[in-house]
Amino acid sequence: MYQSESLIRNHYNNINEWLEKMTAKVINEKNAEAETHFRNIGITFSTNSETARERIIPFDLIPRIFTFSEWSKLEKGVIQRAKALNAFLADIYNQGEIIKANIIPKELIFKKKSFEVSMFGFTPPRSIYSPIIGIDLVRTNHNEYFVLEDNCRTPSGVSYMLENREIMMRMFPDLFHTNRVTPIDDYPTRLLQTLMSLAPIKCNSSEPVCVLLTPGPLNSAYYEHSFLSDQMGIEMVESTDLFVEGEYLYMKTVDGPKKVDVVYRRIDDEFLDPLCFNPHSVIGIPGIMDVYRTGGVNICSAPGAGIADDKAIYVYVPEMIKFYLGEQPILENVQTWSCDKNDDLTYVLDNLSDLVVKEVDGSGGYGMLIGPKSSKSSIEEFRRKLSTNPRGYIAQPLLDLSFSPTLIKNQVEGRRVDLRPFCLIGENAQLSSGGLTRVAMNEGSFVVNSSQGGGVKDTWVLAE
Amino acid sequence: MLSRTAEYLYWISRYMERAETNARLLDVGYRMSLFPNPNGYNNEWESVLAASGAIQGYKNKYDIIEQKKVEDYLFFDEDNPSSVYNCILNARNNALVVRTSFTPESWLAINKTYQEILKLRNNNFNASDLPNLTEWTIEQVNLFRGSLSSLLRNDGYNFLYLGLFVERADNSARLLDVKYFVLLPKPQYIGGNIDNMQWSILLRSLSSFNAFRWAYDGNVTSTKIADFLVLNSDCPRSLSFCIQNIVKHLTNLTCSPEKVTKIYNTLKDLNTKIQEEKIESIVDFGLHEFVTQFIHKISSVDSDIQKEFFN
Repeated sequence: MYQSESLIRNHYNNINEWLEKMTAKVINEKNAEAETHFRNIGITFSTNSETARERIIPFDLIPRIFTFSEWSKLEKGVIQRAKALNAFLADIYNQGEIIKANIIPKELIFKKKSFEVSMFGFTPPRSIYSPIIGIDLVRTNHNEYFVLEDNCRTPSGVSYMLENREIMMRMFPDLFHTNRVTPIDDYPTRLLQTLMSLAPIKCNSSEPVCVLLTPGPLNSAYYEHSFLSDQMGIEMVESTDLFVEGEYLYMKTVDGPKKVDVVYRRIDDEFLDPLCFNPHSVIGIPGIMDVYRTGGVNICSAPGAGIADDKAIYVYVPEMIKFYLGEQPILENVQTWSCDKNDDLTYVLDNLSDLVVKEVDGSGGYGMLIGPKSSKSSIEEFRRKLSTNPRGYIAQPLLDLSFSPTLIKNQVEGRRVDLRPFCLIGENAQLSSGGLTRVAMNEGSFVVNSSQGGGVKDTWVLAE
Repeated sequence: MLSRTAEYLYWISRYMERAETNARLLDVGYRMSLFPNPNGYNNEWESVLAASGAIQGYKNKYDIIEQKKVEDYLFFDEDNPSSVYNCILNARNNALVVRTSFTPESWLAINKTYQEILKLRNNNFNASDLPNLTEWTIEQVNLFRGSLSSLLRNDGYNFLYLGLFVERADNSARLLDVKYFVLLPKPQYIGGNIDNMQWSILLRSLSSFNAFRWAYDGNVTSTKIADFLVLNSDCPRSLSFCIQNIVKHLTNLTCSPEKVTKIYNTLKDLNTKIQEEKIESIVDFGLHEFVTQFIHKISSVDSDIQKEFFN
């Protein structure tokens, strides 16, 4: 919000006035109201800890604001990236031009667990493998946005984007009278349109039947699954509700079997089909892959889409954009060292205490080393891990993430934030007019993940 | 509608109904404990346990039957599958799975109830808090039922109401039975003042005391009360009312007409009989026998519904 030490960026003026008028008492009341609201609607998540099964994510009352022109640039950049990632998937599961052109080494792709052999030679409807992509962005002090990570499988968090806005509108209606905030509540409709535009070849209906496939109530994103299916008006199914007969996929209803055209799956590849992936899996729908490959059903995202958000592939996304789209990347990557390259590895080992090291298959802020914040012993531990398995890691500089004003014990303090907007690609490519802003609530912290003390904020895009 | 969704909806309203019945039963025990305890009567708390079907579980856990422990067992105990706490927990967990078939209002009604009972559970309560707990439960269940009016009148709605009336039919029948065979073990008391007093308590426990006064003139007699609770289709807790509503919501289902007809055929006779029967002939036949048959019938309807629609 601050341009320099004390100068407030223009578009935050309104919010600043509003903040100054709020008393500590009102802030406390509103915080309690938000917490009760989140508990009542059940927007909770599970953590790895056994003790607190249902937690709510801390919500910060101060919105994060983007101007129209700031957002327009992000929008173009994210859509460009999402298109390139889909083109990459279509390529590697077919001709593999990018490998023939020596841009990406083939062992980086074919040896990955997330590369799905059974997808070889099959192209899903409209060549879209990953119709919902969440791109994690950070701003550094140069006022420039960098891509930290791509999420091409089943990015979550969109329910927070929508519910954060709902609670803000409910608690502070006046703010929305005085600020022209672009609405986001049409996201579920757009998601449904996207899914419907991806009907399989053998579907004749103009209104394909879509379902959301969830692993069940114990999954940490379960609230989001039920929220989205409810908002879209589609069934939320578990794998036991589905079965394959002949060339099609059906769900068990009180009225007998009903054909399903598009499955928006929120479960991992390996639990999709025990006949194809994990024979020991008790969940999954036997035969769904056969139906999929013969055009009886579409699975969104496609099995094997995860290879595109692998952290080792991430390094090559700017190259992909040039290769497939013939364009210059609008959004840059964060500088990244791939530890499988000898030169990079040497550099990383020499500078471990200044770098952030991540597992290429890791997520949720687990299994990473933040060099400047770590003890000697954990740095040495990572040195050993890197030397034995260099291919499993990448390293990045510790970014000076931008701060956003955050209420901490009723005082406004700066806390580090990132941003995940959601990109939809079906018949059209479009970006949500907002996103999920995650905030590291602890002073000095760089980790915004909700599993590790991160909070969330409403994210505004001002209308032109 | 998914079969699993239908099943969960059916059970949500069963659990909510059961929570109310158990809370009302506790209230019956509480009221009876305020009256002098004459010889020949079982301990009122034992009858309450029996009526709730929880006596075996309770005895496995406690050696003596006393108010505070019974209250705790029936209201909060996690070991008792039918405790108010467990009913609300189960209803809420089911609702979580099928909230897409609910309106936000009905989800909120259940989830708020759950959030509140978690808090109630952490407060130590006194025996004299019981009327408040009962009142709270009834209020919450009413909130839930009220929220159902916001639902689409589709099959989900009918499955919810099927669950509600199957559970209520079973609960009302059991309460009637308990009145006859647990509260009054000695036949010579039947028709006496104490007998009538206990019938009145039964009416209160079924939220029907005032309604009964308006429906029948003159003295409170056990025959009139039996008529009210078994045959009077104006009384929303009578066996007759429940069975009519089971038939109504069953035949309103638009899915699988042949399954509906199949289940309806097994119910038709009972439904006709209960509309035409006179209370005198039921009493002659034996109220207990009548009620036992009724409970069997409801239970077989329940298993038919589960078998036909949920598997």
